[in-house]
Amino acid sequence: MRVSEALKWLLLVWLAVVIIAAFFYVRPAEGFIGESSRIVFFHVPMAWIAVLAFLVSCITSVMYLKRRDPKDDIRASVSAGLGLLFAVLATTTGAVFARIMWNAYWNWDPRQTSITILLLIYAAYLALRGAIDDPERRASLSAVYAILAFVTVPFLVFVVPRIYWSLHPDTIINTRGSNEFDSRYTQVLMASLVGFTGLYVWLYTIGCRIESIRQRRRQEVL
Amino acid sequence: MTDLMGIMVVTLMIWVGLFAYVYRLDRKVSRLED
Repeated sequence: MRVSEALKWLLLVWLAVVIIAAFFYVRPAEGFIGESSRIVFFHVPMAWIAVLAFLVSCITSVMYLKRRDPKDDIRASVSAGLGLLFAVLATTTGAVFARIMWNAYWNWDPRQTSITILLLIYAAYLALRGAIDDPERRASLSAVYAILAFVTVPFLVFVVPRIYWSLHPDTIINTRGSNEFDSRYTQVLMASLVGFTGLYVWLYTIGCRIESIRQRRRQEVL
Repeated sequence: MTDLMGIMVVTLMIWVGLFAYVYRLDRKVSRLED
């Protein structure tokens, strides 16, 4: 069995164990209604993957502007798409948590507002790509846009929610610079972050391969 | 079966289903690349 094949099966088992641990290895955290605190093991990794994917999109966009290699453009667009997908999932799981804790799916909390702006920014990136036919022009313009879009990420994800009063629970490293999670919570959360990162890498490589095949076929037709 | 067990089973089923879908897609892409 090849290493990549073994890693895929390891990912299956790893995240299955994380799911079981998330439900039975940790107790519900104090100060949260019912079992709602367990959502942290899925919500936080999804948000982390969104930020990581937007960062990869920004880096590969810079590389495209430097080298003009179409593969970098593919990497940037696939990563931005995955980032958008995981940001939507993080927003959805956040809304489910909000419904349990505050009896409303949506209350325009600073974190909900900032993630909405982020979703719109990256949805516009995909719309921009869809609106330009010339591949080189599309790649150049969307690379510049992806770099500018990423400039907003630290502000919208890390700064804005910490400036304004928010209902959102403390993040892993809170504003006091400490981690007040129970050790079992930290273990499961870290394992989940590793598993989700593996899933992102896998989806990212598949996405890039699909786009490369698509481009190759388009060139063959022309 | 408790509610917690039920939610865990559903979450596991979603994960296994997603894995199976992505795994099949991966193999299909490999075939197309050859």
